[in-house]
Amino acid sequence: MKCTPTAVGANPNKEICGEGVRRGQRPGLNARDSHWFGASAVCPRRRTPPAPVAGRRAAAVIPFAAPIGSFPHLSPPLCKNVRGTGCFPQTRAAIGRAEVKEGRDMEFKRRNNDSLMGGAPQSKWAKKNTEWEDSPSQFEEELSMFLDADMDIEDQEGQASHDVIPVGDLFTTDLNPRWRRPPAPALDPSTDTLVFQQIDLDYYLGVTAAGMPGQSQGKAPIVRMFGVTDNGNSVCCHIHGFAPYFYVPAPNGFTSAHLGEFQNELNSAVLKDMRSNKDNISVTVLAVDITRKENMYGYHGKRVLDFLRITMAMPRLIAPAKRLLEQGLKFGPFPLHYYQAFEANIDFEIRFMVDTNVVGCCWIELPKGKYRVRAENDLLVTDSQCLGKVSFCQYEVDIGWTDFVSHPAEGDWQRIAPLRVLSFDIECAGRKGIFPEADKDPVIQIASMVQRQGETEPFIRTVFTLQSCASIVGSQILCFTQETKLLQSWAEFLRTVDPDIITGYNIQNFDFPYLLNRAATLKVNPFPYLGRIRNSKSVLRDLNFQSKQMGRRENKTMNMEGRVQFDLLQVLLRDYKLRSYTLNAVSFHFLQEQKEDVQHSIITDLQNGNEQTRRRLAVYCLKDAYLPLRLLQKLMCVINYMEMARVTGVPLTYLLSRGQQIKVVSQLLRQAMKQDLVMPVVKTEGGEDYTGATVIEPEKGYYSIPIATLDFSSLYPSIMMAHNLCYTTLLQNTQDKDSLSPEDFIKTPTGNFFVKSSVRKGLLPEILENLLSARKRAKAELKKETDPFKRQVLDGRQLALKISANSVYGFTGAQVGKLPCLEISQSVTGFGRQMIEQTKQLVESKYTISNGYQADAKILTRSWLSSELPQVNEAMSIGREAAEWVSSHFISPIKLEFEKVYYPYLLINKKRYAGLYFSSSADTHDKMDCKGIETVRRDNCPLVANLINTCLQKILIDRDPQGAVDHAKEVISDLLCNRIDISQLVITKELTRTAQEYAGKQAHVELAERMRKRDAGSAPNLGDRVPYVIIKAAKGAAAYMKSEDPIYVLENSIPIDTQYYLEQQLSKPLLRIFEPILGESKAESVLLTAVCDFCKKKESELYQKEIYHLNTLEERFSRLWTQCQRCQGSLHEDVLCTSRDCPIFYMRKKVQKDLDDQSKLVSRFGW
Amino acid sequence: MFSDLSGQKQGQCLLSPPLFEDQAPVFERTSSRYCPRSERYSLGERSFSRQYAHIYAARLMQMKPLLSEAAQQKWGAEVPIKKLCDLQAGEQCCIVGTLFKGMELQPSILKEISDELNLLPQPARVKYISETDKLILEDELQRIKLEGKIDRDKCVTGSVIAVYGAEKNDGIFTVEDFCTADFPAQTPRPALSCDTFVLLASGLGLGSSRADSMLGLQLLVDMVTGQLGEQQEQNGAATISRIILAGNLLSQNTQEKDAALKPKYLTKKTQAGSVEAVRLLDELLLQLVASVPVDVMPGQYDPTNYTLPQQPLHPCMFPLSSAYPTLHLVSNPYQADIDGVRVLGTSGQNVRDIQRYSSMDNHLDILEETLQLQHMAPTAPDTLGCYPFYQKDPFILEDCPHVYFSGNAPSFQSKIITGAGGQEVLLVTVPEFSGTQTACLVNLRTLSCEPVTFSAFCVGEDEEGPMNVSH
Repeated sequence: MKCTPTAVGANPNKEICGEGVRRGQRPGLNARDSHWFGASAVCPRRRTPPAPVAGRRAAAVIPFAAPIGSFPHLSPPLCKNVRGTGCFPQTRAAIGRAEVKEGRDMEFKRRNNDSLMGGAPQSKWAKKNTEWEDSPSQFEEELSMFLDADMDIEDQEGQASHDVIPVGDLFTTDLNPRWRRPPAPALDPSTDTLVFQQIDLDYYLGVTAAGMPGQSQGKAPIVRMFGVTDNGNSVCCHIHGFAPYFYVPAPNGFTSAHLGEFQNELNSAVLKDMRSNKDNISVTVLAVDITRKENMYGYHGKRVLDFLRITMAMPRLIAPAKRLLEQGLKFGPFPLHYYQAFEANIDFEIRFMVDTNVVGCCWIELPKGKYRVRAENDLLVTDSQCLGKVSFCQYEVDIGWTDFVSHPAEGDWQRIAPLRVLSFDIECAGRKGIFPEADKDPVIQIASMVQRQGETEPFIRTVFTLQSCASIVGSQILCFTQETKLLQSWAEFLRTVDPDIITGYNIQNFDFPYLLNRAATLKVNPFPYLGRIRNSKSVLRDLNFQSKQMGRRENKTMNMEGRVQFDLLQVLLRDYKLRSYTLNAVSFHFLQEQKEDVQHSIITDLQNGNEQTRRRLAVYCLKDAYLPLRLLQKLMCVINYMEMARVTGVPLTYLLSRGQQIKVVSQLLRQAMKQDLVMPVVKTEGGEDYTGATVIEPEKGYYSIPIATLDFSSLYPSIMMAHNLCYTTLLQNTQDKDSLSPEDFIKTPTGNFFVKSSVRKGLLPEILENLLSARKRAKAELKKETDPFKRQVLDGRQLALKISANSVYGFTGAQVGKLPCLEISQSVTGFGRQMIEQTKQLVESKYTISNGYQADAKILTRSWLSSELPQVNEAMSIGREAAEWVSSHFISPIKLEFEKVYYPYLLINKKRYAGLYFSSSADTHDKMDCKGIETVRRDNCPLVANLINTCLQKILIDRDPQGAVDHAKEVISDLLCNRIDISQLVITKELTRTAQEYAGKQAHVELAERMRKRDAGSAPNLGDRVPYVIIKAAKGAAAYMKSEDPIYVLENSIPIDTQYYLEQQLSKPLLRIFEPILGESKAESVLLTAVCDFCKKKESELYQKEIYHLNTLEERFSRLWTQCQRCQGSLHEDVLCTSRDCPIFYMRKKVQKDLDDQSKLVSRFGW
Repeated sequence: MFSDLSGQKQGQCLLSPPLFEDQAPVFERTSSRYCPRSERYSLGERSFSRQYAHIYAARLMQMKPLLSEAAQQKWGAEVPIKKLCDLQAGEQCCIVGTLFKGMELQPSILKEISDELNLLPQPARVKYISETDKLILEDELQRIKLEGKIDRDKCVTGSVIAVYGAEKNDGIFTVEDFCTADFPAQTPRPALSCDTFVLLASGLGLGSSRADSMLGLQLLVDMVTGQLGEQQEQNGAATISRIILAGNLLSQNTQEKDAALKPKYLTKKTQAGSVEAVRLLDELLLQLVASVPVDVMPGQYDPTNYTLPQQPLHPCMFPLSSAYPTLHLVSNPYQADIDGVRVLGTSGQNVRDIQRYSSMDNHLDILEETLQLQHMAPTAPDTLGCYPFYQKDPFILEDCPHVYFSGNAPSFQSKIITGAGGQEVLLVTVPEFSGTQTACLVNLRTLSCEPVTFSAFCVGEDEEGPMNVSH
């Protein structure tokens, strides 16, 4: 059955996933209910989100020294930055941007640090790892040096780890004993307790096992947990008896006597509503109970009401039941009543986890005597109540949903089980000029690496190759003559290794789909069973994913029960903004390591060569499997994501496949349950807009005085806590308000009313308090902890907590979310606005000359305080004092914190600034902090970033603005004289659509078209980043026609349009940073003029100049090409690498050409 | 200075009254048979479209038989000589291959140009070896890590050696012993009837900021041209049949490498930093070539190409001296037969590079080591700039020279070593003249070698006169 919106009876117009994910139905026995996991509908009439307060940091300056190049005409007027006003079509597209704004802000900060410090947050990690963090190339040696503790064991068994299995040998699953998980000791349920860490959780419809709670007949939803024990044994746990439910308010006069009638009426209504009844469901409504609950939305004077808790037989019956009740149900003596549903839109897994206190990746304990072990399923099941094993897990058990213990992730339960992480990469032999297609081109190699979480090296390294392949030291090579055998064996390998997490680079959209399609083409029937459930075939589906964080993406997805698919590319796309996302660029960025990049076309040649060329390919393939593991480790992805899952209480897989909202929902439900509050299902609708943030117009300039910056720590969360802003405290109507005394509630700057915490403490503030105090605890523990691995866990945790706290505000503002509440979100930004203004007034009134301070303070976008003594420590102490004093004017926990001192500081505008950052010590700066300056923008050429970077360094570190000007002038004249390396001029843009689909003509699209006409093979494909340079063309030629492939330019000596680079790329960012220093008009005249002169000299002199040029070029040539040799790890073979992301790539090509030209020039002297 | 002439005759010392012009004896300069042998170091049509893999391949191909032979001589004829791809774990065998040393400290151009690391310039180092270096042996197809009885720090990338040992199943080849190609064969040295000297000097360092070296240099010129000392000494100077200037005629100060990175229009009017120094050199050479044949080798800082082999300096730079046929502008490395004595040498880049990338410090030892390896510049092209040769490696020592020198050494050293095949070689490290004021004289008859120091201001009291000749 295809999952279509109509299949679940929803209005297709509405349910086009907000940020949610559309999940199709899983086929077979354990099919999930098909339903939409959409956060909620996105309708064309959606509203603009509340814009966050952009200048949420208040700022003050006491300038005694006038900033260099200050602008007297620019007094600092307060300016309301009106963002997000008006319901323009283009703003609509940015659905609920605010939701993730906070989180992203934070991440951006972190990223910024990364790039500036070369990966600051990873430094602790790097230290630990230095012993295997080698210089680029020598991957082969690296491979050969992985030594394992269990190597000895293998020796005894006489199996060398890198034996080449002769071609055509039979494959058995016991090929290498290391592949298997450690043997699982027999389990006696009556005496043994089973403890495991669950890593994946889903449910299926099945038969309840004997002795377990739940429906005895028909199929019931059974929750299934997968996990790993401390020993490294895999566990599959079936949890019985939990049924989905939702609430509706009981009609007036409803008593327990009416329960039966109501149940029957609803039951028959639901049955009637079903179009077909494949599963032969006779009972849809399992139970109806009366409970005392309260609506979460709004304060109603703590009115607890009777609610009907309606328990359904299956999760997918919730939606029709809810719909029928909303449309009105008449029963017994009661007239037609329209019921409002509560908590009917909760995912079944989340419902289960909330009710049982299970959070993502937590430890589960099955007490002895409470569970049953399933036996190996040898024979056909004779007794349907005694179920055999259905999974590949070592332990498979059944337990009732109330019988197991879920340990909160504290103390010892924070540990992580020895999870197996498998990383793999495939190579396909494509045809010339065509991207490999699964129905035609064979899979020729699959490299796999398996590593236990927490260890530093993979303990299994294998390559499956088609045709023979020479041995690679340290790796096992399995050769096959038939591709079908290769695929089948690899699938068997995967099942034997039984990884918990599968990673790789772009496996989700390339490797897995390719393997599955290829296996289908070749009819390798046993292949697609990659999950842990025996009979569950892994099937590909298309998945549309949309969120404000990620934008709209079309992904492929496949089911693989019990294993977490952790595609590194997806992680990076989610968490990092990079210039390029090729594996090579990414590993260079994070690991400072290059990899050899082999073009598709060469792969086939290498495959068709001999066993040595195939070996070369295999080494390349192994590296591609290895790098994701290294990156995963360096970026601590697994740990951070696990901590996020624990903190927010959602399954690990949700974090990569779902948006931010589900995390807040999970926490909200957990908190609400404690207070017997229920969450309404709201229809999302349009609402009025409200003003965004105040931004104090910054006073641009180059400040050569220390400037203190003050920052509200966790501004939005602390506002929500301080003012008790929550759904449960919102006063919606006047009559509720009138019943309260004026001291009991507050009016927010946006005119909304909330009760104080003395009347009722809000849920959101409570969630936030929990998160922030947990963060505080984690940070305190982090300080104490010495074990590097545990430190990582704690660091990941505190980060997860911070991100989670920030996403709560976004949740309330997400117009298409599960529970938007404009009153809360606009009040938060309102308070933020107010606080910044107040801070400004406070600081500027106290820190004045008349009050004995050395100068008047002023507010820019942040808090700047400066002292006349040009000393950083002075600024630090004044900053601290001011922060404390200002904080005392605000309600706790709002706190203004002294953050750092910038000295010197270049302020361009509110979002662009740069300065030397002093925080830990007053004597030495920690780093150079740049924000919003063209150092990371991807659509600029590297020249811009490099030039701006160098200029900033000269300005800030060397305190030499004149030197910076000189440097800029030099680079500009270099550019105009065509002496800039072409790699510096390459602009890259992603080809996201074909030319027809782009509205306007675009340079990179046009180029891709032209390249396709030239050579279809090397032309960029959809999704590739297209590198191009702008070339000189006839006057009046459109800019998009001037783009050209850099290699083509080099080969054909096409002149570069230097004027374009000067005017379109360099001038704006340069003027921006120099204007504060030189003044607007002067900057332009100083920088953007160049002179040219010619003068002839005598032969000797001319010759010497040319020969030195040749000399320099030769030095470059030899250094560049030997570097590539080192990188590829071979002296005797030609460098094949075509990695266009490598800074050397164009350079080495250019130097060859320049050298030949220069040699010719010099040879004219008769050399 | 000239050992057999050093005894002074009475009354004919410098303090005796000058003789009349026509009475002055004329000492005829000894001439020698000279035959340049540097063809292998000259580049014809140059092309940089090739990569460096070829030179390594050619090197390995040419040296493999030599090493196989050496290995069989050392470990017996039955020792199995294996390729890495046929290597079986645990089997004792011999493998011939090119060494590669993975060095963490090695300067990387990638790091230098990486835009994200441009905040941190890499520190300048004297040596790039470290504890984390890894030794790897690579044959035509594969590579393997080496451990065991091989001095990691002493080895350099690019050396072709044979190792004996076994791979112990851990991907690491445990070396028990290794051998090099050893000295090549030598043609016999003709017996000379009389003493003939060749003067070796290097590192004149013209254009440096240090003026005092100029006096020493002028003294050297005067000594050679017979303008210095009394008659005996003048007579002795006449036995110098040839001068070899082994590179770095110009000082490092004349280098303006960043000039090349500056825009052309800015450098058009500024002349190269070397122009003045080259003019000076021309004048200096003029004095020499008028009296004696001079072979001028270029060095690291001289205006010629960067990669080895460095091509001869262009005569257009020497408008004065190039008029004389006695000016020989030669390549670096340089090889010639002088009176049948095979002289081979470099301006020192190869030795200095090995010094930087290995634990060896003494230039003389390094020189000897290259002879052992039968390769002048193993580190080329890896860390030593080198032309991308195709199908040949000119740096392999095919014949054993009689005099083997390297220039620009920190100090003078020399010794005669004898190879297993009876080869007798004089090794000389020619000191940098600008720093040491020292040149050296090689007696082609006896292969003895002695330094000559020209010091204007003597340090020791026992030194005599402005020209201090120390033996």
